[in-house]
Amino acid sequence: MHAVFRPPVNWRHRRFRYKLVVWRCLNCGAVHHYATSICRRCRSNRIDEDKLPDRARLITYTVVKNPPIAFEKQAPYIVGLVEFEDGTKLVAGITDCDPEELKPGTELERVVRKIAEDGESGLIVYGYKFRPAITRGR
Amino acid sequence: MRKVYIVGASLLKVDEQWGHSIDSLVSQVVDGLAEVRPWKIDSIYVANALGEILQNQANLGAIVAEDIGLAGVPALRVEAGGASGAAALVSGYQAILSGLADTVLVIGVEKLSDATPEEAVFLPSLSERYDLVGFQGVTESALAAMMYRMYLERYELPQEMVAQFPVIMHEHASRAPHAQYQFKTTLDNVLSSPVVSPPLRRLETTAPADGAAALILSSSDALPTIQHEQVVELAGAASSTDIVFPFDREDPLKLSAATRAFFEALARAGLSREQVKVLEIHDSYSILANLILESIGYSEEGASGVDAKNGMFDYGGKVVINAFGGLKARGHPLGATGVYQAAEIFLQLTGRAGACQVDGAKYGAMISLSGLGSAAYALVMKEG
Ligand SMILES: [Zn+2]
Repeated sequence: MHAVFRPPVNWRHRRFRYKLVVWRCLNCGAVHHYATSICRRCRSNRIDEDKLPDRARLITYTVVKNPPIAFEKQAPYIVGLVEFEDGTKLVAGITDCDPEELKPGTELERVVRKIAEDGESGLIVYGYKFRPAITRGR
Repeated sequence: MRKVYIVGASLLKVDEQWGHSIDSLVSQVVDGLAEVRPWKIDSIYVANALGEILQNQANLGAIVAEDIGLAGVPALRVEAGGASGAAALVSGYQAILSGLADTVLVIGVEKLSDATPEEAVFLPSLSERYDLVGFQGVTESALAAMMYRMYLERYELPQEMVAQFPVIMHEHASRAPHAQYQFKTTLDNVLSSPVVSPPLRRLETTAPADGAAALILSSSDALPTIQHEQVVELAGAASSTDIVFPFDREDPLKLSAATRAFFEALARAGLSREQVKVLEIHDSYSILANLILESIGYSEEGASGVDAKNGMFDYGGKVVINAFGGLKARGHPLGATGVYQAAEIFLQLTGRAGACQVDGAKYGAMISLSGLGSAAYALVMKEG
């Protein structure tokens, strides 16, 4: 098996993975997680850097019981579909809680956590996850 | 007008073929086409999704051409995830209609049994956007599970309305000699099988499978020069794409790429949906059976479960879906699956489907998906 994580990729995505820095279309509002010159929705070339909010709401979730490569030590773990106030949706690990504490609409906040470790390359990667909001305000 | 015909089909039992490499599976499946003569092939399309990862083997166009003694013939590998096979068929159809080829060999081959269990969970996520989905440890099954939960909640349905599809598939596969899983199962068994990602259970998913299937396509111009038993017309083929992340689509429960591909293929064939009596659908997860049937208009939204329960998709119903067990029970050798679907419709329309025969079927169709519907490929066939 090839390496799942590679240092250059990890470096390239650092601002998205740690801070949810995105590229937003100034014409239609669509969000891109990669630097882009053309909007994936409307093909406008008016794109500017933006940052997704630190809070989001849970739409739905499930649990991964059979882990993929690099997540072997973590299973079972919760993953959820979250929505930001601008309508942008992401899937992400949901941490610091049990599934029973979650329901659609649960307010979440972004945290930076260890995502996984690639046994073969030895690389440990970090990125955003969400947990039920415990700090106040938006 | 120039037409495209399928003049021969061959398929291997879907299984874990520990003793056979890609090359040996290809040689076996092509040997099954020996009845088609002369052996003159203008172009080869090889469908495979994961050879460079699991067998360290890319460049399967040249490799496979040599494997079958056709080094020198133009050959190309086609990859479109789980729809690679159907994508290769659409490409072959286009090559013939373009007039640049008269006979095309389409081979689908995949060996998933070389994967470790963790790789088997990881590899399907390669069809999703890895940086957004796989990187977060979100497996493709987890995405399917969230679509499943959304479906049950939106239409206020019991899980049975989705989980019964695998029961139908296993029933069909119990009569199919080339199916991977020929055992019958019950709704209780499905709902008590281990949870993969709630609400999705293991018996609602597929398992690693090896397989190879092959078809020979011929133009109407070349047909008189070819020896064959019976032919089927490949009367329409079309494809479409969609936003890749399902929850970014206008409605995650509508597979609009499937809708577009299916109706365009039907229109090319000059047929209506009601004329299609055998239908192969891409049920890599039980929920996809519901979503596909609703997206291509066989059921109202949220109603495919009730329709299935009423026998609409079984022998004696409106249309028989997955007569050989579909992805669920015939098996899902990823890149080869679309070629299996087409070979199975060929068997149906030539009356060679054995115990799986749908009587009186003159028209058949198939729909194949990449990932969770980010691309869809549809083919429509007519009795020759
Ligand atoms: Zn835009």
